[in-house]
Amino acid sequence: MKIENTKAQMRKGVLEFCILSVLKDEDAYVAEILDTLKDAKLLVVEGTIYPLLTRLKNAGLLNYRWEESTSGPPRKYYGLTETGKLFLKELNTTWSELHNAVTIVTSQKTTKK
Amino acid sequence: MNKTVNINLAGIFFHIDEDAYLKLQRYLEAIKRSFTDSQGRSEIIADIEARIAELFSERVQNDKQVIRIKEVDEVISIMGQPEDYLVDDEIFEDEPKTSYSKKSTSSSASKKLFRDTDNSYIGGVSSGLAHYFGIDTIWIRLAWILLIFGAGTGILLYILLWILVPEAKTTAEKIMMTGDPVNITNIEKKIKDGFDNVSDVAKNVTDSVGSAAKNVTDSVSNAAKNIDFQKQSNKIKSSSKTFFDTVGEIFMFFLKVFAKFIGIILIIVGASALIGLIIGLFSLGVADIIHIPGLDMVEIANAGNTPIWLVSLLSFFAIGIPFFFLFYLGLKILINNLKSIGNIAKFTLLGLWLISLISLIVVGIRQASEFAYDESYIVKTELPITATDTLTIRMVSNDNFSNNFYRNNHGFKLAHDDDGNKIIYSSDVDIRVKSTTDSIATISIEKSADGRSYEIARERAKNINYNFNLRDNILLLDSYLTTNLENKFSDQEVDVVLYIPENTIVYFNNSTKDYLHYKQFEGNIISREDTNHYVKILFDDAECLDCPEEDFEVKVNTPGLKINEEGVEINSDEGNIKIDNKGLKVQSEDVKVNIDSNGINIESDN
Repeated sequence: MKIENTKAQMRKGVLEFCILSVLKDEDAYVAEILDTLKDAKLLVVEGTIYPLLTRLKNAGLLNYRWEESTSGPPRKYYGLTETGKLFLKELNTTWSELHNAVTIVTSQKTTKK
Repeated sequence: MNKTVNINLAGIFFHIDEDAYLKLQRYLEAIKRSFTDSQGRSEIIADIEARIAELFSERVQNDKQVIRIKEVDEVISIMGQPEDYLVDDEIFEDEPKTSYSKKSTSSSASKKLFRDTDNSYIGGVSSGLAHYFGIDTIWIRLAWILLIFGAGTGILLYILLWILVPEAKTTAEKIMMTGDPVNITNIEKKIKDGFDNVSDVAKNVTDSVGSAAKNVTDSVSNAAKNIDFQKQSNKIKSSSKTFFDTVGEIFMFFLKVFAKFIGIILIIVGASALIGLIIGLFSLGVADIIHIPGLDMVEIANAGNTPIWLVSLLSFFAIGIPFFFLFYLGLKILINNLKSIGNIAKFTLLGLWLISLISLIVVGIRQASEFAYDESYIVKTELPITATDTLTIRMVSNDNFSNNFYRNNHGFKLAHDDDGNKIIYSSDVDIRVKSTTDSIATISIEKSADGRSYEIARERAKNINYNFNLRDNILLLDSYLTTNLENKFSDQEVDVVLYIPENTIVYFNNSTKDYLHYKQFEGNIISREDTNHYVKILFDDAECLDCPEEDFEVKVNTPGLKINEEGVEINSDEGNIKIDNKGLKVQSEDVKVNIDSNGINIESDN
């Protein structure tokens, strides 16, 4: 078992949730989503996001529209669908529960020691 | 100075250095391989390309700037290695098809057979096969051992595979050998694996050394054993490898010597055939021009009227070109870096060869068609002989042509007639004798010849000269036929049919022997055996008048019947009969008859 794999798995698990969260208030194109995620140090390389975006879109959680760009190729602006919004709500609750659980478990361990 | 390539990335135009372009291409290719169609590969790739285009646009100040390998490296470091694109399947269980399984299924198709010299004992054939069939090497090796016991076929097969299967030298080949698709990730993995192996080994050694140091008392021997064993196996492996390498080298050396030897043979064969052909062509061509007398023979036989120089040239190409290639092959074997004669030359020669071959076939067919029609021309003449006289038949030869009566069937010669003209001379003359109820004898001369058409054949038959002469009841038949040279040799022949009235006595001179056939051959009644005898013509038959009686020799020797030179002896239970040179002796139970020099003596019991 390699530590890199476990780390990547943990990161990828929450990545979908984070992508949806970024799009919670307003539509964004890939570079913007990437910037947010990179700032948060959740993402090291950009490559990971593309299959995830396609997966989410194919699952009907996201939709997109094309917008012309002055500096480069046309941009794909992603936004949440109604299902996406519901999905995100679900995930939000799950995340808080998980967060609580993890905090409790990890802090318990430290107190025991 | 660098070559640049123009690319269109997500609709944006970029100049890019060639090496940078290749790197980018490999990168995109590797990413493409990490996805399946069900994951929406084309869409993902389009998105990635768009992002790369965006990143490039940020780095390009004006349209004339070129993307270099530095920019590509930057973009790749931002985008991440192909592994980073992989969606971990353990997390997404709803994914119908995983990228990994896709990889393994596509791999089997691209698997290639190489010799794995990294894991070899002899030539790496076994481990190569093991990779190819996806099983452990040990099974292949066991199979070899079994095959070696099976009449040694294993050894032969191994050597063959050793020669034929290429060694996996480059990393790409090594990856192809194991069946993984060749891409950056795999190549990197392979190289990394190589390092890992080295570091693992190093780690193992230090570990064992460390543990050995720890358990000085007991474990020293154990650890040492371990190391020794490891060393030993490596040593065996390397020594066996070097041994078989040497054997391989020796084998290759002999193979090379053998190949050179074959090369020399090929050169000698090719060169001598070519020289012979050139000499033949030259002499034939010259002979054709200056008219060497002997060559007319060819001219006679050449009924198709094809120019000889053309035929010889065609034959030269048809035979010479394959020998030239043989010669060339020999040279190529002998000299490693021989300059190629070039494809144009090769194909020209091949074309020339084919044309020559086809032309020769056409000429051959034309020649054969000269004999397609067989026509005869018959002249009948009455022979003023009376039935009571003996008719003597003799063959007459011409001193100009031949002075013996030896008959050469279908043979022909070139000769000069009395006026010095060239003529074809042939002895294809047959005599047949038939009986007739007419009172007058008739001679029928059937001249026949072959030709391309009915007319030509008939004309040629007509042009045959054949004479006979009747003088004082002696029929003199020419033993030869002649025809003009321009008629060519087209199987000209003469059949002389004699219709002789019944009861005529004929005498065939010895000279006719070769021209006669067997009895009943197309109604013939005089055979070779009848020559030199007086023969009486009967209805559809002939009777030899002075032939010696044929010896009658029967020998029977049984208890009941005996026939031999001495006489006849018949023995039975009732009596016996004996006839010999003494006389006749008949004995039965009741009667005795005796005829001998003493007279006739009959005795009876009654």
